[in-house]
Amino acid sequence: MTSISLSGITKRFPGVVANDDVTLTVEEGTVHALLGENGAGKTTLMNVLYGLYEPDEGTVSVDGTERAFDSPRDAIDAGIGMIHQHFMLVDSMTVAENVVLGNEPRKWRGLRVDREAARAAVDDLCDRYGFDVDPTARVADVSVGVQQRVEILKALYRGADVLILDEPTAVLTPQEVDDLFEVLGELTAEGKTIIFITHKLGEALHAADDVTVLRDGKTVGALPTADTTREELAELMVGREVLLDIDADAGAPGDTVLDVDSLTVTDGDGIDRVADVSMRVRAGEVYGIAGVDGNGQAELVEAITGLRVPDAGAVTFDGEDVTQRSRRHHIEAGMAYVPEDRHERGLVMDSDLVANGILGSQRAPAFTTGSRIDWQSARTHATDVIDTYDVRPRDADATAASLSGGNQQKFIVGREFERDPDLVVVMHPTRGVDIGSTEFIRERLLELRDEGTAVLLVSSKLDEVTSLSDRLAVLYEGRVMDEVDPDTVTEEALGLLMAGQHPEEQ
Amino acid sequence: MSQDTPRWRRAIARLVDASVKERLVISVAALVLAVAVGFVIVTLAGLAASCTTHPTIFGVRTPSCYDPFAVYSELFLGAIGHPEQVLFGTGTWTPLDFRVASLLRSTTLLVFTGLAVAVSFRAGMFNIGVQGQLLLGALAAALATVYAAPLVPGGVVGTLVLVPVGIVAGALAGGVWGAIPGALKAYADANEVITTIMLNFVAANLAYVAVSTWFTPADSSLVQTATIPAAARIPNVPFGFQPRDNFSLLGLLFAVALVVGVAYLLARTSFGYDLRTSGSQPEAAAYGGVKEKRTMVTSMGISGALGGISGAMLVLMVQGRWLSNLPQLGFDGITVSILAGNNPLGVGFAALLFGVLKSGSAAIGFGTNVPPALVDVLRGLIILFVAMPEFFRLLGGRLGVGGDVDA
Repeated sequence: MTSISLSGITKRFPGVVANDDVTLTVEEGTVHALLGENGAGKTTLMNVLYGLYEPDEGTVSVDGTERAFDSPRDAIDAGIGMIHQHFMLVDSMTVAENVVLGNEPRKWRGLRVDREAARAAVDDLCDRYGFDVDPTARVADVSVGVQQRVEILKALYRGADVLILDEPTAVLTPQEVDDLFEVLGELTAEGKTIIFITHKLGEALHAADDVTVLRDGKTVGALPTADTTREELAELMVGREVLLDIDADAGAPGDTVLDVDSLTVTDGDGIDRVADVSMRVRAGEVYGIAGVDGNGQAELVEAITGLRVPDAGAVTFDGEDVTQRSRRHHIEAGMAYVPEDRHERGLVMDSDLVANGILGSQRAPAFTTGSRIDWQSARTHATDVIDTYDVRPRDADATAASLSGGNQQKFIVGREFERDPDLVVVMHPTRGVDIGSTEFIRERLLELRDEGTAVLLVSSKLDEVTSLSDRLAVLYEGRVMDEVDPDTVTEEALGLLMAGQHPEEQ
Repeated sequence: MSQDTPRWRRAIARLVDASVKERLVISVAALVLAVAVGFVIVTLAGLAASCTTHPTIFGVRTPSCYDPFAVYSELFLGAIGHPEQVLFGTGTWTPLDFRVASLLRSTTLLVFTGLAVAVSFRAGMFNIGVQGQLLLGALAAALATVYAAPLVPGGVVGTLVLVPVGIVAGALAGGVWGAIPGALKAYADANEVITTIMLNFVAANLAYVAVSTWFTPADSSLVQTATIPAAARIPNVPFGFQPRDNFSLLGLLFAVALVVGVAYLLARTSFGYDLRTSGSQPEAAAYGGVKEKRTMVTSMGISGALGGISGAMLVLMVQGRWLSNLPQLGFDGITVSILAGNNPLGVGFAALLFGVLKSGSAAIGFGTNVPPALVDVLRGLIILFVAMPEFFRLLGGRLGVGGDVDA
């Protein structure tokens, strides 16, 4: 029986269509994975189901009845519970208190919270679903995995039949992930329905009965996990876009500019986000890094560009060990960086383009006299970037926030490429950028390479990395799976590598 | 913002995105609105009060005891001693009136504390510790001038040496005291709001104990330092108010110079660029190679130094010594800075408004029968109305409302 049915859901935000005619059907008593890259519209879709967003078009049906949720309260009443990526628990209260918070059992005519009843209710739930949780423990004292279970208990206590989990494994250790999947199995055995959001296709295959894949806000596939393979899912997620065949001849590589040696980055939870990665990028070549998002690309790039000190290994740039050097030193040494996140990092949103044009060069002699910024030359520079990189509107006084995504990206690319760098680290340069700007940015990248600049390109778009790169490494769970020749490698082989398997293993 | 975002969020987003000109219009409108509301309150309070003589407005005897026209005339014109008397030939007013001096004295001192708070705000931090920095700056200035006095000749030369010595001592003491919470935040991740509040108490008690133990003259019954030498007082030039008014135009000029200096520092220097970028978008600052920890400590140091200078000016221009009950200018500085939208140039005007309200309140007390409590209500109304839009802008900016319209 169909538990949840979303059909034709469209949700627009100014300038962005987050969900475009998305359909999702979830059978009762199953685990359903909602798979897609960051920004594919998974969370938006679930927020629609949970009543946080009202869809512009489309219908939401629960157990065959069409519903319109104005708020999460309505969704909860309809038996839908959501466990957010960031837990909403009160650290100083006990597990039982957190579970009943907002719906406390009362005594003395509602004057007093009945703690005994609360504990009993939580004990009861734990027994029923086989949770190993101590209701009297303080939330601050229990592990992240247990905290997640408390969130699940909270939803169950409120009578949820359908549980939505937003990236539930992002915060867990591998052991805790296994435990979670066991819990999900027990929940479905009791007739509950689970939807979990993930960008890790291995998890989707392993834990879910069915999977729906979203890409760029559209449903691109809905299939039972039994009938699919990792590479098929990888292809669906990453997609093939209009072929912009611009790669003609290979670059003529020169000396090694960037030498990454056994780099390891460990996160706060002790998990290796980047594990023992080594690579060499030479002048005049594009070195590509492919992989599904979230496999250590961000951490690797942060360690290379000086935003983060790696836990082990070394980064050598132009013959100098820059592993421990500051971000400013990296910039001054001639490393340009087009970041993944243009809103948070690449641009100061409230500032105009004149100020943004010297971000990173605010102390460079070209724009300063002593400690004073020469705003006239900064303005000239911004105007040059705007002209050369076709940024619209052609107004250096416009704030960064007022530009569209594609124009913001062109401005950042222009600013970084105009530094006359020895190495450009480019991350997802064409994500969320229109076709015209995409082509333009890619052409510029190759021009830069032909002028003898080393380019490190990180992208999850298969076409982009294969057509632009001269050499290509595939990253999976923080490790380099293999280094391949982008001209000869097949998409199938790449798909397998991105999913963590070597082609010959099959 | 899409249609289903709550109304309040959309309203705040519009405030956050308002231009400088719009903000100025909003401020003036808020002032007018505050006066209008105040009018009603004064009239209503007058109806509730009992009195023997009722005021006559436009020839009509009112049932209310208080005359709102008189109240606001005192608040704004009485604040500077009724200059309109000269126009009507009903009095003799000069720009050197003692009320003008009192107004400008408050303004001068508030400019420093307002700037101190504004600098920290622009760097993305909230320095609530200006009062503590002021107290220590004042103490340093008093002690430095008292102990340096025997080493320098009196007269003009003495002044030329002692006044800078006092101001630099105040700036150093306040700067160090301000840099401490900056360093605690940068290197120990301690919230600066909490640490600056706590350091206020530490500063107040530290200064009190130090002065009562070592620096109180034997013949004094109060906890205070010795009086600073006459040469260390800010000279009453270029032209004179009465010496008893404790105000010097030179002090005001110094305040104006600092306003321009801080505005220049923020807008025109590499350091100012780093400071503002850290304040508005720390991630982008890190990306742009800003040394965030160093910037934090330096910004708080500068903020503290400005607080210390306010203390030094309080001693060198007004009090002439360190006292245990120095005025709470540090806290007024927070309001001044918010009124000014944390813009250094705006701080000058906000401090002036604050000064007018302070001086005008006293004038209402002399010139009308309105009780002091009601005067405080009117003053609070104006500050509340003018500060609220800026306050919400600040809050909205922190909540990430407005600006980027992305999903």
